[in-house]
Amino acid sequence: MEKTASKKKFKIDWKEVKRQRFLLIVSAFFVAYGIVFYYLPLTGWLMAFENFKPRLGLLGSPFIGLDKFKFLFSDVAFLRVIRNTFCMGVLNLATTTVMAILFAILLNEIGNKFLKKSIQTISYLPHFLSWIVVVGILHNSLSSSGIINDLLLRFGVVDQAINFLAHPEYFWFIVAFANVWKETGWNAIIYLASITSIDPSLYEAASIDGADRLQKIKYITLPGIKPTIIILLIMNVGNILNVGFEVQYLLGNGLVQSVSQTIDIYVLKWGISQNDFSLGTAAGIFKSVVSIMLIVLCNHLAKKAGEEKLF
Amino acid sequence: MKRRFISMFLVSAMAASMMMGCGSAAGNDSTGSGASGSGDAASGDVTEFSYFITMPGSEINSDNEIQQVIAEKTGVKVKETWLTGQSAEEAVGTLVAGGEYPDYLCTDDMTTLLDAGALIPLDEYIDAYPEFKNEWYTEAEWEKFRQPDGHIYWINQFENTHGDSKKTTHNDEAFWIQNKVLKWANYPKLETMDDYFDLIERYIAENPTMEDGTEYIGYTILCEDWRYFCLENAGQFLGGYPNDGSVIVNKDTMTIEDYNTSDDTIKYFKKLNEEYQKGIVDPESFTQTYDEYIAKLSTGRVLGMVDQWWDFQENVNGAFKTQGLDEAGCNYIPLGLTTEAGMDNRWHTYDDTVNCANGIAISVDCADPEKAFKFIVDTCMDQELIDLRVWGLEGVDYLVDDQGLYYRTDEMRMNAADTTYKASHLCPYSYFLSWGGTSFDGKNAMRVDEQPSEFMNGMATPLKETFDAYGVTTYPDFIGSVVEANGPWFPMYSYSNGFTTATPGGVAWTKMGECKHEWLPKVVMADDFEKGWADYMDAYNACKPEDFLSEMQAILDTFK
Repeated sequence: MEKTASKKKFKIDWKEVKRQRFLLIVSAFFVAYGIVFYYLPLTGWLMAFENFKPRLGLLGSPFIGLDKFKFLFSDVAFLRVIRNTFCMGVLNLATTTVMAILFAILLNEIGNKFLKKSIQTISYLPHFLSWIVVVGILHNSLSSSGIINDLLLRFGVVDQAINFLAHPEYFWFIVAFANVWKETGWNAIIYLASITSIDPSLYEAASIDGADRLQKIKYITLPGIKPTIIILLIMNVGNILNVGFEVQYLLGNGLVQSVSQTIDIYVLKWGISQNDFSLGTAAGIFKSVVSIMLIVLCNHLAKKAGEEKLF
Repeated sequence: MKRRFISMFLVSAMAASMMMGCGSAAGNDSTGSGASGSGDAASGDVTEFSYFITMPGSEINSDNEIQQVIAEKTGVKVKETWLTGQSAEEAVGTLVAGGEYPDYLCTDDMTTLLDAGALIPLDEYIDAYPEFKNEWYTEAEWEKFRQPDGHIYWINQFENTHGDSKKTTHNDEAFWIQNKVLKWANYPKLETMDDYFDLIERYIAENPTMEDGTEYIGYTILCEDWRYFCLENAGQFLGGYPNDGSVIVNKDTMTIEDYNTSDDTIKYFKKLNEEYQKGIVDPESFTQTYDEYIAKLSTGRVLGMVDQWWDFQENVNGAFKTQGLDEAGCNYIPLGLTTEAGMDNRWHTYDDTVNCANGIAISVDCADPEKAFKFIVDTCMDQELIDLRVWGLEGVDYLVDDQGLYYRTDEMRMNAADTTYKASHLCPYSYFLSWGGTSFDGKNAMRVDEQPSEFMNGMATPLKETFDAYGVTTYPDFIGSVVEANGPWFPMYSYSNGFTTATPGGVAWTKMGECKHEWLPKVVMADDFEKGWADYMDAYNACKPEDFLSEMQAILDTFK
């Protein structure tokens, strides 16, 4: 028995299968789930290479090759939405990550347990609000008669109300701000958890060596959570192009559309509204491919720098 | 062993719930349609149909009283669903992508549904009701609805006059102004945009705030999504053309012209730009949503705007009435302004506008199209049902005098304006075929607001005074449009609404819309109008409007 097992190192024999049958059954469901919900829908990508008509169906529609991609990359509007998506993605990722780390560290420095817990609870509550509510609040507070203009006017910072949402140059920052407001508390949770796992003896040793608070943060806390930061960054980079749809869709208007529209909105507009499913799919494919490339690239860079990596 | 059993059980339970998860949606659906099918089998039961309309509307309660009465009489109850939070195109696109349709459908974009194979041809049903067929449309009008494949798939539900026209409202676009402003200036005659804005400026200079201290807004513009017609197309009217919507038709040469670049339009935007700099145009115009716009109008602080009557009156006039603002002179009066004084104007459409791009259709998923179609016919051919839809219950919502004329008491009028009452009691089925004009017995109006007694008595005192001061009896009289028959192509927007991106013209049309959405507000806000307009024109011409115009010309040529 022993002998055969070691000889056929990679062959899994029947007995082994039997022993692990429950695990296998369980994983079979997940594999099936993955196939049905993640891989089968990919057949829809065929649409991008056809002049798809719902009446003719996926197999009956005429094949047109790369025409839709050609249209896509010759459309100035599409190039603009790529820029918007990418810039907003990077801006959001940078601001939310920095704010979350900063917040986690600050929260960790609070000595009073009750205060710490309450601040944490309050700060992650906005995460559970839906975007439509957040956008409603934003829309009201940023309007000419909203609270922000009210404050600015009262403190004499400006002498005329600023119509924030009518200025294209503010839009990306408003979106980034909304993201920070909504997600900082939530994102901080994971960093907080990783801070608590740092060995307290390190802090003690540092104290004995005469390190002050800032130094402790700089030399112990930050390096301690570095692996977490890198892993989260890699995972989030893949999501850069998923910068969102709701905020930009709900907050945008005609005036700022050249900076507000993202790839998702473009897909919705051409795919669903204009009924050009093929073009929408082509834009979607582009987005997925770029996302995969980004994540591979980032992973590779992390590997090179000798850091944690995802795969 | 026990533990193993438990894990087995959990796994199978999980698997089962997953299966259920996928299956349940379909399961529910089949029971839904099954119920409507079986309801039909046992006659006397009520069949429930669903109806999706790609317009915002107010839903009525599920235990609505008049809906129940209609259901008892016809055996049909219709659950209407309205557009919420999406644009009409998105809603239709989502339906097509999903492939499941409600029983009835109505949208501006019927061709998309037709292309997707979502609709059933109605010809044989229409032929089965000859009386209806002759009454509702003329042969030529039916032909307008015939699609390239030779079938008729939808019937427009609006703007059909029976007998004598009793039109009292201006159900179209206009420059509107609150009647108290007119009264303040002693009812002047306003003919041009200069007159209009001059009056608003003078009024605001003297009365900067309302009684409660809220500042007046001189003029606001709604630009959200498809409703940006409030900004976009006034140029065609100012030039004296009727509402072809997407283009101007030059009748003499039978050519299509582009109003986006016409001199009238340039003058219009120049004026708006000027007023924006003066602070008369609401700076929030370009970022407000429709809801915010309606809320703003409802406070009575907006003195004027361009809009279509149907786009604001229901919500705004109701709010005025409940707040007593109608007695303060807030109701809006339409004005038929033109670029130069003394020009003919065509803001008001006297004919029925047969919009063949839009209508009520029955979907392929309808379990009983025969019954569904019969209901469409019944609700517009049976005077009793029409009265129920339009007026309500006799004795409760209206009374009948000895000559057989319907009328309402003040309390009934208040009720009819009250949203809670409307939801629980009234059931207008407003997107089923609706008549204007005179009832089948020739006595009453088909619409409450067209009944002379209701129209005059329903008016607040200041509004009545304004009518008297100008010596008019109906809203269209204020406009004073030229009375003439429109060409058979009218309105051209019924064709451009059906454009898809499958043709270069359709692509151009989409891009033009996008460009205008962005640039028109910029033009109005520009510090230097000439430069702003030139930049706009660069962006506009890059959309290749000529592709769109030539396709519209080809359509017009078929009427030569």
